[in-house]
Amino acid sequence: MIVLREVSKTYQRGAVAIHALRGVNLVIESGEFLAITGKSGCGKSTLLHLIGGLEPPSAGQIVVAGRDLSRLSEVELTLFRRDLVGVVFQTFNLLPLLTLEENVALPRVLQGASFHQARDEARQWLAEVGLSDRRQHKPHQVSGGEMQRAAIARALINRPAVILADEPTGNLDSGTGAGILELFAHLHQHHRHTVIIVTHAPEAAAHAGRVLRLHDGQIQP
Amino acid sequence: MRAWLFRLSTKHLWEHPGRSLLGLLGIALGTAVYLSISLAAVSALRSFQDGVSAVAGKAEWRLMSPGAPLADFLFTRVRQASEVKAAAPVIESILDLSDPHQGPVLLLGLDPFSELPFRSYEFLSAGQVGARVWEDFLTRPDGVLMSEPLAQRLSVKPGDTLPVMVGSSRRVLTVVGLFRSSHGLYPLDGSVLLMDLAHAQELLGKLGQIDYIDLLLKSKSPGVAEKLAAQLPPGVDLVQPGSQGLQMEGLVAAYRLNLSVLSGIALFVGMFLIYQSVTLSVVRRRREIGLCRTLGMTPGQVLVIFLAEGVVNGLAGGLLGLFLGVFLAKNALGVMTQTMSSLYTPVAATDLFIQTPLLVKAWVLAIGATLVAAWLPAREAARTPVRAVWYREDLEERLANKVGQFFWFGLGALMLAGMLASVKIGNSPPYPGFAAAFLILLSFALLTPAAVKWWGRTLAPWGRRLWGVSGELGCRYLAGSLSRSAVSIAALGCALGMLIAVAVMIGSFRRTVDDWVSRAISGDIFFGPAVFSTAAYDRFLPSEVIPELQADPQISDIYFYRCVRIPFRDRFILVIGGSFEVLARHGSLWFRQGEGQELMLKARSRGQVMVSEPLAEIFGYREGDLLILPTPSGPQRLTIAGIFYDYRTDGPSVWMDITLFRQFWQDRHLNAVRLYLKDPSRVKEVQAKLQHRYGQRYHLLTLSHADLRAGILKIFDDTFALTYALEGVAIVVAVFGIITTFLVLIMERERDLALLQAIGTSRRRILGMVLVESGLASLLSFVLGALSGSLLSLLLIFIINKQAFGWTVRLYFTPGIYWQTLVLVTLLGLAAGAYPAWRALQSHLAAILKEE
Repeated sequence: MIVLREVSKTYQRGAVAIHALRGVNLVIESGEFLAITGKSGCGKSTLLHLIGGLEPPSAGQIVVAGRDLSRLSEVELTLFRRDLVGVVFQTFNLLPLLTLEENVALPRVLQGASFHQARDEARQWLAEVGLSDRRQHKPHQVSGGEMQRAAIARALINRPAVILADEPTGNLDSGTGAGILELFAHLHQHHRHTVIIVTHAPEAAAHAGRVLRLHDGQIQP
Repeated sequence: MRAWLFRLSTKHLWEHPGRSLLGLLGIALGTAVYLSISLAAVSALRSFQDGVSAVAGKAEWRLMSPGAPLADFLFTRVRQASEVKAAAPVIESILDLSDPHQGPVLLLGLDPFSELPFRSYEFLSAGQVGARVWEDFLTRPDGVLMSEPLAQRLSVKPGDTLPVMVGSSRRVLTVVGLFRSSHGLYPLDGSVLLMDLAHAQELLGKLGQIDYIDLLLKSKSPGVAEKLAAQLPPGVDLVQPGSQGLQMEGLVAAYRLNLSVLSGIALFVGMFLIYQSVTLSVVRRRREIGLCRTLGMTPGQVLVIFLAEGVVNGLAGGLLGLFLGVFLAKNALGVMTQTMSSLYTPVAATDLFIQTPLLVKAWVLAIGATLVAAWLPAREAARTPVRAVWYREDLEERLANKVGQFFWFGLGALMLAGMLASVKIGNSPPYPGFAAAFLILLSFALLTPAAVKWWGRTLAPWGRRLWGVSGELGCRYLAGSLSRSAVSIAALGCALGMLIAVAVMIGSFRRTVDDWVSRAISGDIFFGPAVFSTAAYDRFLPSEVIPELQADPQISDIYFYRCVRIPFRDRFILVIGGSFEVLARHGSLWFRQGEGQELMLKARSRGQVMVSEPLAEIFGYREGDLLILPTPSGPQRLTIAGIFYDYRTDGPSVWMDITLFRQFWQDRHLNAVRLYLKDPSRVKEVQAKLQHRYGQRYHLLTLSHADLRAGILKIFDDTFALTYALEGVAIVVAVFGIITTFLVLIMERERDLALLQAIGTSRRRILGMVLVESGLASLLSFVLGALSGSLLSLLLIFIINKQAFGWTVRLYFTPGIYWQTLVLVTLLGLAAGAYPAWRALQSHLAAILKEE
C-alpha cells in the first residue's frame, strides 16, 4: 500500500518558488492500476518521482510498502528503488551501448545476481513482452515501441512492488502506444503489481482501475 | 560489486578508441618521461659507482691527500704499520685516446706484487696471461694491459700500439696483453688500461708520487683505523673508498633533482588529461548515471566504476609508458652522460641499468596519478542525483555557481605559494620552492573557470562586431561549457606556463653567464691543456712553456691557473690557485660585495681566500667567516675575503693566490695560463704562433676570449637540451587534452549544430563559430600560461635555482618565448577545433535531429 499525507513539493528557481505539489493526500492499494492525468506542469511527474523515492518531498510523509521514505538514508533509498520500484520513462532511457538483453539484465546485476542468471531472466521477460528475437539488438536498431517494451521488461525484472510509468506512450504513435498500454494491462493482470501511470492520453485511463486528476499541484475531487 | 558492471565503462572506452587512446597516451608519455630520466640518472651514477667499486676492489680503506698525490715512501711506512694487513699503491689518470680512436680511458698504475688481496683482474694468473706478457708488462716502459671490452670495442689485439694524449703530450703505448675483471665490473664502461706502477709514474710525470694507497686492516674495529689515522702525517686522510661515489652523488644531486622535478611535470599535465577525460565522461554520461541510480546503483558503485575508468588508463597508459620509458632512457642516457662528463666527471654509461623497483615505482606513480586525477570527477559522478535523467544542465549550473568558490581557493593557493617561496630549510633541496611551484600551477587551474566565464562574456560583443553571429555564439558557448572547456584550458595553460617559466629561466641564466664571462673572465688568450675539461686537474702545461711565454715580446702579462678537486664535507669542491695580482691589474672576479681590485690585493697580502657564491650559499658562509680547508699540508683556517659570482657547473670553488696555493700543495704545476697581450688586436697572430710553436709536440688549446665565451655557452646549451625535451613532451600531452576536449564538445553539440544548419546557418558560419571558440580557448590558455609562467620563472630564478645551486641569476625579459608560444598555441587550438567541426558538418542533418 502507498500512503501520501499532506505532501508538498516546491522547486526554487533563483528567487522564484514553484509549487509543484500542494498538500496531496492519497492512498493507493496494493495491486491497484492507477492513472494520473492532468495538464502539462500540473505536478503529475513530480508526484511519480516522490512515490518512487527519486526526489524527496518539501513537506509531508510518503509511505510505500510500509517504508516511510523520509526516514530512509540515501543508500536505503537506492535499495528501495532497486528492489521495490520499476520505472518506465517517456524517452525509454535504454543505455545505447548495451544490447536489449543487457539493458534488461542490468537491474538484476545491480541486485547482486550473476550476469548469467540475470541474462536468463532477462530473456524470459523479453519473451513476455514479445522481444525474443530482438534481444541481441542495440536500442538504435529497434523501433520506439520495441524500445519501450524492453524498458517495461527492465522495470519488471526485479519483480518490484510498484511500477511507475511516466508518459510511457508520449513518444509513440497512437497504434504503438495502444499496444504498450495493453501490455501494461496484461502484465498487471498476470503479476498483480501496483501500476501507476502518468499520462494525458485519455485512452490510457481506460485501462486503469482508477483515474486521478491533478490540477495546479492538487488532486481534483 | 559484479564485474559485469564494468562493461558500462569498457563499452564507452571502446566506443571512442581514438579519444581513449589520447588519454592513455597522455599518461603513457608522462610515465615514460619520468621513468626515462630516473633510469638514465640511476644508470649513469651506477656506472660511475661500479667504476669506483671496480677500482677499489676489496679495499676497505684508502689513504689520500686532498687534491694532491702522496709521496711513495709513505707506502713503505704504512705497509709496515702494525694495524695494516695489506696495502697497495695506485696511481690513476684519465688519458684521451688519439687517432684513430677517441674518448677517455682510465690508466691505472698498479704494483702487481701488492695487488692480489685487493683486485682480482685475471692477468694476475700466469696461466691465463702467459709468461711473455707478464715480462713485457713489468719491463716495457710503454707496455699496458687493455681490458677485454675496450679491446673488443677498438678492435685492438696484443702487440698493437695505442696513441694517447698524456696531459698535453702525445705518447704511444703498446698493448702487451688483455685482462678481464672477474666480476665484469669496469670503470668508464670498460675503458681501462693497466700499467706497472713505476712505468705509470714515469709516463704521468709523477716520479716518487702515488695518488692513493688502498688498505686492508687487521681488524674491522673503528679503534684500529683511528690508531692508524693518528700516525699519518698532516694532510693525509684515511677514507673509505665508497665515499667517492657518495661525494659524486652529492655533487650531481641538484642536477638530478631538477631533472626529476621537470620529468614529473609531464606526468602532472598527464593527470590533467585524465581528470579531463573522466570529467568529460561524467558530463556526457550524466543521464546514464542518473538512470543507473534510478535502477538501484549505489553512489559507491558509481564511484568505483568511474575510478576504475581512470585506473584502467593508469594501468594501460603506465604499462605503455614503461616500454616507451625504457626506449627513451637509452637516448636520455647518452645526453645525460655527456652532460655529466662535461660538467662533473668522465662518465661512460652505454648500458641501461633497468631496476625492477624503478619500473614498479613509475607504474604505481602512473596508477596513483590517475586515481588522484579521477577521484574528483568520480566523486562528482557518485553525487549525481537521480533527477539527472530529466535535467541535463544541472552540472553546468552547479559548476557555474562554484566558480566564485574556485576563484577564492585559487587566490588562497597563490598566497600560500608566496609564503612557501620565502621558506628555506637549512641546506636541504628547495622542497618548499617546488611546493610553491606546484601551488602556483594549481592556483591558476582554480582561477581558470572564472577566467573562462569572464573571457567568454566580455569578448562576446567584440566577437559579434568582428565575426558576426559566429563570433558571439563562439564566445557564449565557451563561457557556457565550463565543466569541459575549463579543464582543458587549465591543462594547456599549465603546460605553457611551465614552458615559458623554464624558457625565461634558461634565457636569463644564459644572459647572466654571458655577462659573467665578459665581466669576470679577463684575458686575451687562454692557453693550456685544461681550459674546458673539468676532469683534467692532472693535465699540466709543459714546464718549458712558461719561461718561453715570459720571454715573448708580444705578451705583457701572464695569469697562472692551477686547480685541484678535493672532497669537502658531503661533496667535491674545487680549489683554485691564481695570480691575484695579475687579475687585480686586468679586471678581477665579480664580487657580491666590495671592489674587486682592492679585495684581490688584500687577500693576496693577508693570505685570505675568495669563495664562490655557490659554496657560500650551500655551506652558509659570509664575507669575513673562517673556512677550514683540507689541504695536503693539513687543515688550514682561512679567512674569506670576498664572495664572487661563479657560474662554473663543476662544483663550488675556493680561490686563493697561487703563492698561497703552492704553500699548501707544494706543487709547481700549472693547468693553464691566461695571456694578456701588449696589442690585443693581434690575438689571431699570437694564437697561430703558439699553435705553430707547440702544436707538433703537445696538445694545448689556444682560445681567444670569444672562443672561450662560445665554448662556455655551448656547454650551457648542451646542459639544458634535456630540459627543453622534457618541456616539449609536457606540451604534447597538453595538446592531446585540447584536441580531446574539442572533439567531445563538438560531438556533444552535434544536434545544436545540425539545428543551426536546419534553420539556414551556413556551414562556413558554423565552422567560424567553432574556430572562434577554440581560438579563444587557446588564447586564454596562453594568457593564463604567460601569467603563471612569468610568476614561476621568478620562483625558479630567485628561489629554486638559488637554493639548489647557489647561483644568483639576473632576470632578463625574453619576449621571443611569449610570441612563439602564442603563435604555436593559436595554430594548435584552431587545428584542434577545425577537425571536429568539419566532421560534425559532414553528418546527416535529419538523422541527427531525429535522434533522441
